[in-house]
Amino acid sequence: MGARIVFTAGFARRYTSGVREFEVEAKNLRGVLKAMDDLYPGLGAHLEDETTVAINGEYHETGYFQPVPPGAEVFFIPRIEGG
Amino acid sequence: MNDTMIVTDSVKRFKWVGTRPIRPDGVPKVTGRALYGADLKLPGMLYGMILRSPHAHARIKSIDTSAAEALPGVKAVMTASDLPAQKFDYIGPERVAVNFWHVTRNILAREKVLYEGHAVAAVAATSGSIAAHAVSLIKVEYEVLPHVIDVDEAMAPGAPLLFEDMITRGIEPTPSVPSNISKRLEFALGDIEAGFRSADVVIEKEFKTAAVHQAYIEPHACVAKYEPDGQCEIWSSSQGHFQMRALTAQILGARLGDLRVTPAEIGGGFGGKTVTYLEPVAAILSKKAGAPVRLQMTREDVFRASGPTSGSSMWVKIGVMKNGTIVAADGIFKFQAGAFPGSPVMNGCLCAYAPYDIPNQRAVGYDVVSNRPKAAAYRAPGSPISAFAVESVIDMCAQAIGMDPLALRHKNACRIGTPTLAGPKHAHAGYSETLEALMKHPAYRVKLGPNQGRGVASGYWFNGGGESSATLQVNADGTVLVATGSPDIGGSRASMAIMAAETLGVDYNAVRAIVADTGSVGYTHVTGGSRVTFATGMAVVNASKSVVTEMCKRAALIWGVEADDVVWDDGYARPANAQAGDNKALSFKEIAAKAAATGGPITASHGVNAGGQAPGFASQFCDVEVDPETGRVTILRFVAAQDVGRAIHPAYVEGQIQGGVVQGIGWALNEEYIYNAKGLLDNPGFLDYRCPVASDLPMIDAVMVEVPNPTHPYGAKGVGEVGICPPMAAIANAIAMATGKRMTELPISPPRLLAALSS
Repeated sequence: MGARIVFTAGFARRYTSGVREFEVEAKNLRGVLKAMDDLYPGLGAHLEDETTVAINGEYHETGYFQPVPPGAEVFFIPRIEGG
Repeated sequence: MNDTMIVTDSVKRFKWVGTRPIRPDGVPKVTGRALYGADLKLPGMLYGMILRSPHAHARIKSIDTSAAEALPGVKAVMTASDLPAQKFDYIGPERVAVNFWHVTRNILAREKVLYEGHAVAAVAATSGSIAAHAVSLIKVEYEVLPHVIDVDEAMAPGAPLLFEDMITRGIEPTPSVPSNISKRLEFALGDIEAGFRSADVVIEKEFKTAAVHQAYIEPHACVAKYEPDGQCEIWSSSQGHFQMRALTAQILGARLGDLRVTPAEIGGGFGGKTVTYLEPVAAILSKKAGAPVRLQMTREDVFRASGPTSGSSMWVKIGVMKNGTIVAADGIFKFQAGAFPGSPVMNGCLCAYAPYDIPNQRAVGYDVVSNRPKAAAYRAPGSPISAFAVESVIDMCAQAIGMDPLALRHKNACRIGTPTLAGPKHAHAGYSETLEALMKHPAYRVKLGPNQGRGVASGYWFNGGGESSATLQVNADGTVLVATGSPDIGGSRASMAIMAAETLGVDYNAVRAIVADTGSVGYTHVTGGSRVTFATGMAVVNASKSVVTEMCKRAALIWGVEADDVVWDDGYARPANAQAGDNKALSFKEIAAKAAATGGPITASHGVNAGGQAPGFASQFCDVEVDPETGRVTILRFVAAQDVGRAIHPAYVEGQIQGGVVQGIGWALNEEYIYNAKGLLDNPGFLDYRCPVASDLPMIDAVMVEVPNPTHPYGAKGVGEVGICPPMAAIANAIAMATGKRMTELPISPPRLLAALSS
């Protein structure tokens, strides 16, 4: 069962022609980034540099090592910085 | 108070986590021995000073530094022309989206000055008085331009433009004319129009908030020493010396490895010390002069030229059913970014309704430049601003349907799995629990007198994770040094020592935690985003576990058995099985004493990119009394409940909650930047910019709600920021109950409230 990849509307507008949802097979975020980069060359770097990721609601930095469980929702949102 | 007083359930599980040992930085601070950024003096050090703009908005026609350079005692003079050009490009996280074309112009103005106090040139001299004289000799020819301060006026057609080529990002089709609107954002969930159609009551209101400063006690200061071989050392007070290193390197065009930044003790930051103003200037002055240079801001400089948080103009509309179900929420949030793009409006949008399960939501944000200092982060940046508007309208909804405001919030509280406007579903609980704590609080049932009112509000903040490093060294006498890269602005040294002691099984007093410089510990992201106890804590715990593993290996060597035959238990190596024989348990101290014989120094380092942080939820109520003759508001009682995960050092956690509330009280009632008709700041000092003082305040009752975060080894959640989100709305809601007047503009200062009462 693949992971459901979701982007914000703004991110999708900028980089994926408005398409917000994808399904990819990946065991970790590296696999997700590679799959998305294959679909949209250059997108992997944008995801690494500009986003925080929520895997089933849990926020993480967008690092290759994060495991992606089967059927997970992987939501990329703009990175948050605090005070 | 007993210094190990038990206040949380943590001590049922842990020996040190949840206790209140004496803070390790306490004695140096209360005896005046702690060294802050301005305290360092190096041999041959020069005194730097910055020339600042007297105008809100002006074109720089020329700068003549010749007279200053000729003054005896002056060793260096610099302008923006001494800094390399930077590419125009928004890079990095969306909220900050650093554009170094802007950053370098904020550090030293180039084509134009964009706010009063904007740095224009700098000198270094053998004394402060010579530096001041030299600054007065620099001749700048300005063409004064029309200015704009207010966010709504800055957005209006025909407003004076700060950047003649700024085209709003985030609008399609791309606008053809420039404006002061840097960016438009929109986030939506569900069907907003259908949501409002299903509502029984719809309330909408406009709000404004003033820009307020973080008001840290210690002004910005640094010392830089640039060597002829290109190596540069910087001592500075900041929330992240690795961040200062990175920013300074980029501004100078230097390599990270050629800069070494040592953190000074820090006298408060609250987000405002994640920005560089002085370090690159001091470095260039030092390079030109061939001597160390100290630069420091005055309090007036801090107000005029360092980041406050944004002021705002907002509109919020909420629809609710008679049974208390909130069905739709809509809002427009216009935030001042100051002179350069980059307000926290995205955070304001994403946090606005985050505590609630509302099926239909929309938030539209605008990032707007005006002739003010560039906004910087301030405690949960953006969230308190939108919370003021949203939590005020929720209060009005509760009143309209005759429902208790805590009950209304509880009915609509988010749960695990609730969708958020940001996109992901909530993965952690904690909000309902804060409301329940207030519902059970005896003060919530205290009867109020004339001119008194009670107000409720809640708040949400993401909390951060990210990169942190820690190094542990075990000394021969069994004491332990814990070095991290996190500047200690909220008690992190004590928390790190507690977590290390707990993991190692040693006495807290045997552990000393320090903040190490960029050359002595691995990269660590800023102390901000309520991330340190969570992320740096993970690095410390992991490094401590590595030390435990090594201690077991050393014990095995001493006993002549395999490491697997040794178990670590409460600070002792003990035989794990029959193969280990009946050897007497070895203490941490005994093994440390044998370090040389068993393989050399015992040390461990660990780096993490921590994820799985849980957000912060806070709910608060306060009772106020309004003097109808003066408009003065007295806070009678303030109860602040917050989900803290698990309090590692409860006294510090209470301090964070109380500190956030007090800053929120100032934001609500008094603090504001007052500009005159020329766009100049009229109140750049603590006499006229009124922060709350002790005599203004009751004891803030901090209620720690513990819903542990399972992804942290001790259940910690960030606690430093969310406490500032609810107070402004809680106070406005209390004033509304006391007077019948809904105050929609901050601060609710005596003149403003008196005018409303008289209307």
